[in-house]
Amino acid sequence: MIDCDVHNTWSSADELLPYLPPAFREYLVRGELPGGRGSFPHAHRPWLHPEDFKRVDAVPPGGGAAGSDYGFMREQLLDRYAVDVAILTGEEAIEVSTLANPHYAQALARAHNDWMVAEWLPRDPRLRGSLVVAPQDPRGAADEIRRLGGHPGIAQVLVSTGAQRPYGDPFYDPIWDACAEVGLPLAAHLGGQGGVNANPTGCGPPTFFWETHALLCETGMGHVASTIAQGVFERWPAARFVLIECGVAWLPAIVWRLDADYRSLRKETPWLMRLPSEYAREHIRLTTQPLEQPRSRDALWPALEDIGAQDMLMFASDYPHWDFDEPRAVQAPAAWRSAVMDGNARALYGLDGR
Amino acid sequence: MGAEARHVVCAAAELPPGQRRVVRVAGRSIGIFNVGGRFFALHNGCPHRGGPLCEGRIGGTTLPADGHAFAYGREGRILRCAWHGWEFDITTGRALADPSVSARTYPLAVEDGNLVVTL
Repeated sequence: MIDCDVHNTWSSADELLPYLPPAFREYLVRGELPGGRGSFPHAHRPWLHPEDFKRVDAVPPGGGAAGSDYGFMREQLLDRYAVDVAILTGEEAIEVSTLANPHYAQALARAHNDWMVAEWLPRDPRLRGSLVVAPQDPRGAADEIRRLGGHPGIAQVLVSTGAQRPYGDPFYDPIWDACAEVGLPLAAHLGGQGGVNANPTGCGPPTFFWETHALLCETGMGHVASTIAQGVFERWPAARFVLIECGVAWLPAIVWRLDADYRSLRKETPWLMRLPSEYAREHIRLTTQPLEQPRSRDALWPALEDIGAQDMLMFASDYPHWDFDEPRAVQAPAAWRSAVMDGNARALYGLDGR
Repeated sequence: MGAEARHVVCAAAELPPGQRRVVRVAGRSIGIFNVGGRFFALHNGCPHRGGPLCEGRIGGTTLPADGHAFAYGREGRILRCAWHGWEFDITTGRALADPSVSARTYPLAVEDGNLVVTL
């Protein structure tokens, strides 16, 4: 079983100091920080979780933040659920996308990556890392992808779903170029819902945390439409795009609509050679958590099957967050289960047969 | 289906290049087209939703491109359904966005100066 969204973190952002260049180390030591000394610099979203967003039982017995203690993560997640490979996605690192200063943002992303490679990957062969980049600086992001993307422990390049523009936009071409060069998927994880990024919903800001969280699909929809329409998967035929923590039940509706509208207005995008649904099935992957919970459990799957989602979904727990899914939360049809829990992620990330 | 039947539609001279007519033949609505001196007949019912395909706009379209390019071509060969705008190549009946879909075509021949459609 592969868990495609596991949040490892630091107890204090000061852990990044050895990995920051001196100019930006000073920012972290002396500069303004959103949560005081030891907090990570980012423009926090305006929706604050009223109970904090971590599982209360995930706080390590020895202290520190949930997700900061490898031993406790091993006990509570890796061993308990017999996880073969866990894809680490960090915690706050993707929030660098919210910062106005792209140089500082990229330096923080680099520091996270070096910290993760040094402090986490060596602890357990089951761990794989995500290479976080600041997407508001596509050239800097491409440099970082080329610098570290070839590390054997790196599974993907990671950005937040919150962005200044959708990820098919030619603005991001340097990132897609670099991903193609090093052979890594580009993943977007829910987040980056503040600062310089666009509003996470199309009709203006929601009010409450749970209201906003229920709309986590919106940016995912935009990125799916954009990457397909802009021809990302024609220009980089090996490209793969992963949406993490954006829900899955909406995907058939969007894919059907993309096909319908493309059939009417193909002329706008003559670089596409196939139907949007065909690009989606081959090139886009979605993690399952937080899986929608219909009243009738089996109501979830028929529409997904219609678009071939059995090839697209990959299990994720989101440990140690408040909306965590256990593996048994995913009651996929028997014929899909092995692909969704294991096979699709193995194929995407090129994992060995462990 | 019964045996094939041949029907005279009109004199070929009545349909100059670039023109189209929608005619009723043996109870069926059919579009006949002159594309650069060649004649084609399509069923006037779109395979998508049954809309009046042959009453749609005729023109060219953007050609398959490598990257973000907009080369315009196939002028006079592209018919867009009047309802939802699906593009079809008049000369083949094929839908451009989805080659697995085709509009129904009928043989249209010139015989003794007349256009003769075979249903």
